[in-house]
Amino acid sequence: MRKGTILLAALLVAVLAFSVSALAQGSLAIVYDVGGRGDLSFNDMAALGGDRAVRELGVRLTEVESASTADFLPNLRALARSRQHDLIVGVGFLIQDAMAQVAEEFPNQKFALIDGFVDAPNVMSISFADHEGSALVGALAAITALEYGGDTVGIVLGIEIPILLRFEIGYRAGVRWAVDRYNQIYGTNKQVRVLHTYTGAFDDPARGKTATDAMLGQGATVVYAVAGATGLGVFESVESVARAQGKVVGPPFAIGVDSAQDWISPGFIPVSMVKRVDNGVFEAIKRALEGTFQGGAVTLRLAEGGVAASTIEMVELFFDEAIAAGAKTAEDKAAAMAGVRAARAAVPQLAWDLLDELDRLIRSGEYVVPEALDRDTAEYWRGVLSTY
Amino acid sequence: MDPRPVEPQELDAITRRERRRQLRAALGGLAEILIALVIGLGVGALVMRGAGYNWRLAYEGLLIGSFGDQWAIADTLASATPLILTGLVFGLSARAGYFNIGAQGQMVVGALAAVAVGAHLSAPPVVAVTLAFLASALAGAIWALPPAFLKATRGVHEVISTIMFNWIAHYTALYLVFNVLNDPRSAERTVRVLPGARLGALIPGADMTAAIFVAVGVAVFMYWLLWHSPWGYEMRIAGLNPSALRYAGANPLWSVNLTFILAGLAAGLAGATQIIGRPPTYALYGDLSNVRNLGFDGIAVALIGRNHPLGIILAAIFIGAMGAGARMMQIMAGVPLDMVRIVHGTVIIALAAPEAWTLLGKFLGRARARRAPAPPAPAKTVHR
Repeated sequence: MRKGTILLAALLVAVLAFSVSALAQGSLAIVYDVGGRGDLSFNDMAALGGDRAVRELGVRLTEVESASTADFLPNLRALARSRQHDLIVGVGFLIQDAMAQVAEEFPNQKFALIDGFVDAPNVMSISFADHEGSALVGALAAITALEYGGDTVGIVLGIEIPILLRFEIGYRAGVRWAVDRYNQIYGTNKQVRVLHTYTGAFDDPARGKTATDAMLGQGATVVYAVAGATGLGVFESVESVARAQGKVVGPPFAIGVDSAQDWISPGFIPVSMVKRVDNGVFEAIKRALEGTFQGGAVTLRLAEGGVAASTIEMVELFFDEAIAAGAKTAEDKAAAMAGVRAARAAVPQLAWDLLDELDRLIRSGEYVVPEALDRDTAEYWRGVLSTY
Repeated sequence: MDPRPVEPQELDAITRRERRRQLRAALGGLAEILIALVIGLGVGALVMRGAGYNWRLAYEGLLIGSFGDQWAIADTLASATPLILTGLVFGLSARAGYFNIGAQGQMVVGALAAVAVGAHLSAPPVVAVTLAFLASALAGAIWALPPAFLKATRGVHEVISTIMFNWIAHYTALYLVFNVLNDPRSAERTVRVLPGARLGALIPGADMTAAIFVAVGVAVFMYWLLWHSPWGYEMRIAGLNPSALRYAGANPLWSVNLTFILAGLAAGLAGATQIIGRPPTYALYGDLSNVRNLGFDGIAVALIGRNHPLGIILAAIFIGAMGAGARMMQIMAGVPLDMVRIVHGTVIIALAAPEAWTLLGKFLGRARARRAPAPPAPAKTVHR
């Protein structure tokens, strides 16, 4: 009898110790967007943040992909109902409606939303200064086009959601700033026109390719891909058009987005607008574990490292991630990195210089990049930025 | 002289023999399904093991995620709702001898109609819901008409025409979502339907709505139609032997149209269930991702359900359970969604294979029969 009691007590202590250690360890759950893992872009960046939390904070990571938009709500609910996660992260704007609902149903569960906004005390809404980063690559695109004798650049986007309007107008602002600066330096009167296409999808490379083929046909020198997995079609188009002319290095060039995508088409992507979704995810779980988590909107700006133009070190980092994920082998790396360097070298020095100059001006607040989050504002800025 | 009266014992014997035959057929069908299920799950387990995942835990997750508690069951039924309807589209058509794969397009058109009516027509709740359902059923039926006419008047094969109409619907929907029905504040989707046209969750915390009753009701209606009405009799005869029906004086135009219209109604309703019958968005997404593939999944549902309306209900619940279970396979066993889909695919193929084989044989047999009565070819034939 006594023995049984002791045994039971020991068991209880063991269970308690186990659960305490599990609690101390922390647990993070991530629900991905429909594009899902393997987009080499937005979702994979979020995953990178999760992996870093596993490594540096020792949390347990649960990942759920969504087969359709109808899965967001049940996926979030299943995670919230288990009460096992210190933080549940929803990746992407499309998840916003579902997260608003679940946040209301589970007021004691902490949530973080990437790229959207839910007005609830238990949701940290994380967004990025996409317009600032897009302005940087816009400046590079414009000068590259001018120096190669072109007068057109393009941007291929996914669905026309507010965040993508912000990308587009930021890009246009960067183009305009750089052209003005160029004319000021050389005393010329050049112009650059910006073509834009909203493909209506984040997961359809074929549509990205069609749109880019059309832009290159209209003389675009550089095309910026802002479309998740649809953007892979942009790279394919640029590379195949260039290779058909016997080139192994651009022009034409493509610009990557979200992660440092430069290595995907080595030789044709000189730069990517890196959106540090990984930092956002990491920051949110860190705050949740430290007890400093707060609901509300958080914008990670250029000056705070929220967005950046990709550097060669970042590209190497993401290539190593791709190797770790099994998408690439270590043997591929040397050749790919050589291509990446060649693409960077093929971009005129002036383009890099002006990118750096604009980066400084945005950081110091001397140049404020216009931001558009609705159609009317976007239309206004399209007009203002393209009238010379 | 009167024919010899049948002795009661003899009649008994005949009835008994018939009953035994039916029982054997039913047991045979059940065994076929069980064997297919075991093969499918077995291959799925091997695939997961080969990729280094814990297949036991994954299947446990599948079960818990689909039938583990009241919410899981409700989610399963919510996923099954549109599949019952799209399954009926293929099943009914196959019974009438057509390979109708137009459910996807008809469903998309139905979804658009539900948005258009539900978002712009303010009416009392019951009226609004009814009107939205009616509009989408009508839209689906109208979308099914051109392939039916092409089939009946020009002999255009329905596989070709329905595939083309699926794509026309797809791109029309993309245009309408972004340019006509668009929500200016949320460009990624259409406007939401008005609160009066929304079906609420039956169990708080899960997505199941009263749309499930619509789906089951349509299935029961189809069952009655096929086996207890003269029209259904005609349709089934058309499916078994089209020349016999023509010989008997039936109008093939009428038969084709009736089948396609009824199937189109079901497809349109399937679209409505995803718009007015699925929280929380009550709108059509710009990438059509909340109706994606449901029409094609209906083909698998119909094949697993042996093209029988009641079988289709069960098959849709089964496929819905796989969908609902997918999240717990990911959460509990860490199996990525792509791997989950591979496992689901093997199970579905194993279950659908016997019926697909039968259907294929029937279509090939008919094609052969069409070629056979041609007059014997002369010695010299001109090849074109």
